[in-house]
Amino acid sequence: MLSKVLIKKILDAALTTNADFSEVFIEDKFQTDASLLSSKIENVNNSKVFGVGVRVAKGYRSVYGYTNSQKEEDLVQLATDLAQSFPGEPVGLEFELEEMKVGSLHKIKRYPSDVSIDEKVDLLKRADKAAREYDEEIKQVAVRYQDYVQTVWVANSEGTFVQDTRVRTRLAINSVAMNDETKQSGFNGPGGHYGFEFYTDVINVEEEAREASRIAKTMLHADECPSGQMPVVIDNGFGGVIFHEACGHSLEATSVAKGASVFTGKKGQKIASELVTAIDDGTIPNAWGSAEYDDEGNKQQKRVLIKDGILNSYMIDKLNGLRMNDTPTNSGRRESYKYAPTSRMTNTYIANGESTFEEIIAATEYGLYAKKMGGGSVNPASGDFNFAVGEGYMIRNGKIAEPVRGATLVGTGSEALMKVDMVGNNLLTAQGMCGSASGSIPTDVGQPTIRVSEITVGGRKGSN
Amino acid sequence: MNFDKLFAVAKEKGIEDLQVYYSKNNQFEVEVFKNELEKYSISDSARLRVKGIYESKMGTVSTEVITDDMIDFVVDSIIASAKTIDSEDEVFIYEGDKEYVTVEGLLNPSLDEVEAKKKIDDTMQLEKSVLALDERIRMVQAFYGQSTSNVLIQNSKGLKLEKESNNAVYGVYVIASDGTDQRTGIAYEQSNEYTDFDLEKIAKEGAEKAVSMLGAKPCDSGEYEILLTNNASSSLLGPHLSMFSAESVQRDVSLLKGKVGQQIASPKITIVDDPFMKKSTKSGSFDDEGVATQYKELVKDGELTGYLHNLKTAKKDNVRSTGNGFGGIAPTNFYVKPGTLSYDDAVKSMKKGLIITELAGTHSGTNPISGDFSLQASGYLVENGEIVRPVALITVAGNYLTMLQDVTDVCDDLKFGFSFIGSPSLKIKKLVVSGN
Repeated sequence: MLSKVLIKKILDAALTTNADFSEVFIEDKFQTDASLLSSKIENVNNSKVFGVGVRVAKGYRSVYGYTNSQKEEDLVQLATDLAQSFPGEPVGLEFELEEMKVGSLHKIKRYPSDVSIDEKVDLLKRADKAAREYDEEIKQVAVRYQDYVQTVWVANSEGTFVQDTRVRTRLAINSVAMNDETKQSGFNGPGGHYGFEFYTDVINVEEEAREASRIAKTMLHADECPSGQMPVVIDNGFGGVIFHEACGHSLEATSVAKGASVFTGKKGQKIASELVTAIDDGTIPNAWGSAEYDDEGNKQQKRVLIKDGILNSYMIDKLNGLRMNDTPTNSGRRESYKYAPTSRMTNTYIANGESTFEEIIAATEYGLYAKKMGGGSVNPASGDFNFAVGEGYMIRNGKIAEPVRGATLVGTGSEALMKVDMVGNNLLTAQGMCGSASGSIPTDVGQPTIRVSEITVGGRKGSN
Repeated sequence: MNFDKLFAVAKEKGIEDLQVYYSKNNQFEVEVFKNELEKYSISDSARLRVKGIYESKMGTVSTEVITDDMIDFVVDSIIASAKTIDSEDEVFIYEGDKEYVTVEGLLNPSLDEVEAKKKIDDTMQLEKSVLALDERIRMVQAFYGQSTSNVLIQNSKGLKLEKESNNAVYGVYVIASDGTDQRTGIAYEQSNEYTDFDLEKIAKEGAEKAVSMLGAKPCDSGEYEILLTNNASSSLLGPHLSMFSAESVQRDVSLLKGKVGQQIASPKITIVDDPFMKKSTKSGSFDDEGVATQYKELVKDGELTGYLHNLKTAKKDNVRSTGNGFGGIAPTNFYVKPGTLSYDDAVKSMKKGLIITELAGTHSGTNPISGDFSLQASGYLVENGEIVRPVALITVAGNYLTMLQDVTDVCDDLKFGFSFIGSPSLKIKKLVVSGN
């Protein structure tokens, strides 16, 4: 950590030209990774990350630089170099850094540093055993464990000075089921803003491992998915990735401010079925995407993005707020000191509706039930999205029928939102890593079971 | 950090052999949007990765704080890590090869000789060029980025290897709109010779990609003959690389297991791993384990000749490492060898088919274990050798190995993606398309 005096010096050095804002972001992170394969511990690695990012801005125009040097001369030089992008007289900002505020919203019971490495790798062995014992067709299991303590300090020329510590852990199980015909894999990766208590108080390691095997085994005996346009019932939990990709990214100021998003200028307008209320909430205690402060040093918030189908709020960071003349929602996030912050999602979900899961299935004559979604991507300009279905079933005559594999859902975010015609009452969230302009960050996705009246389903079986 | 001191402390605490991998990186990036500098970023960072053998197990650690204060932390972490490993695989610190090929031109001074101001001006000009090409172009992001990296490997067996390289990229991201439909295009070039960059060409390619897709709609579902463009083909090869890794083969998660000597692709397909290619950051004479790299054709005229190995997998299979020990196993410059057919002739030769120019979601819609894929695609519908209209929001599905077997011709337009995985355009007998 750098001294407050040095931080002030860096901030001042950045303001020696015509810039009107400077920011220092310091990151100190300690991470442990362990992996198991073929029932053996393959790798255990500690890593120490330390670096300083400096941002200098005039209006919404900014420049960014970073280094892992802790030396005063290097840091002041970096700030001075960056300042050269804004030639002219100093604007004469006078400020003092406030007393450092320390984020402590999310209680941690057992810090990873207080847990022995043996105890951590034991989780891998337990998960491996449970995943293999699930079924004899499970032939390969890979398990990864990760924990980290990331402490960041953010200081800026508005006087902001905060420290925030993020403690996160995740266990990821990948089971492979095989027979003479094919191999199929199943994935489950629970995580949270927790210490090691996550594995005793929050999840059951064996159950999570069996879930990965269950998916692999089910998909091994699944038929190829037919293709065509049909109603799709997307289950709760990771099903929320559809909203994250297809709509969430287009509501980030990163694309809205430049006019690159389909939702630019649509605040107050109907952009979704009236059954849809969507929320991005960075304050949920101990959730995977939560933090007390964002990476620009402001308190995380709960943002109602869409209320009963009406666009209510974007996710906005400081500089994009200036660019689009809208109030920031404290949505500035970044993977590490190697990235300038920009507007990003935290824990994003569709809120509960009124239907039960059973009602939604029963109301569907023919369609696809996407129980587990895989990943996907979206083009924010056109809104075109694609998602892989990790575990799917056909729905016939209002009942869940045979399992199908290899399905991909494609569509346009704005159209899919309008076509949501049933929303369940069983909201559940799941963990993911989201990659975008400011790197890869932990985000929760979530939703209750929903039905979209029509989506293009791509499968290898051809059309029925 | 004083490495001699590190080696001494490690030895004292019972570490049998130790290797440091030190990498340093300087980057400069600019992005222009609406004639203003949208992004300007400068950085220097370094990372030290250390591995050591303790009681016959390999412990590892990494740190970005590289000072003498960290020596005890590094050594203790290696020991703690090694103690928990129960994999019985033999581990190695390599004493080095007799000879290493000298790869010329990895570091080109021209990138640093050109001033930052000139690079910014050129990027601004690039944006202007795109906007001037077509009035339907609504928005352009032009970017330039360059990076210089230094690598040092040093170990207790006396090996010491160094590499210095640089690379730059110029590119554009283009949004075009006709009032009702909005489409995007991306185009870029990579090199470490500043005069190689043809900005007009990049501008034209980016603009054309976006504008020509305006009004794209799905086509009818069915089986189509496919022309997979160089960009689309290299983006599909990427997620299937693990098939060629000996690690996947030994874990029984590769479709290519037991297929050496067999015909796995059309005789027109040859797949190369070339560590000596000029102007690529992936090129070099040694891998992360210090093993000499080599040129190899993993698939020759459709026949699988072998896998990519590091020291560990090579020992298991009783072969020599192929010099692909890059953080596990990874290729260097990996590509499908170009053929002789021109892209235009390939289009003319199609009676009814689809040109696939872009595949989205290749990280999620593929399954390298089974080879099955189902991906969102866009491109053009072709009838009687002519492009009829743009197509979007369809999916193409198939199996990667089946597709390689169904390749009927290979074009001459080899193109590399950002991670130096490359392919020419491929003509494919058929894939299942889902649209209307």
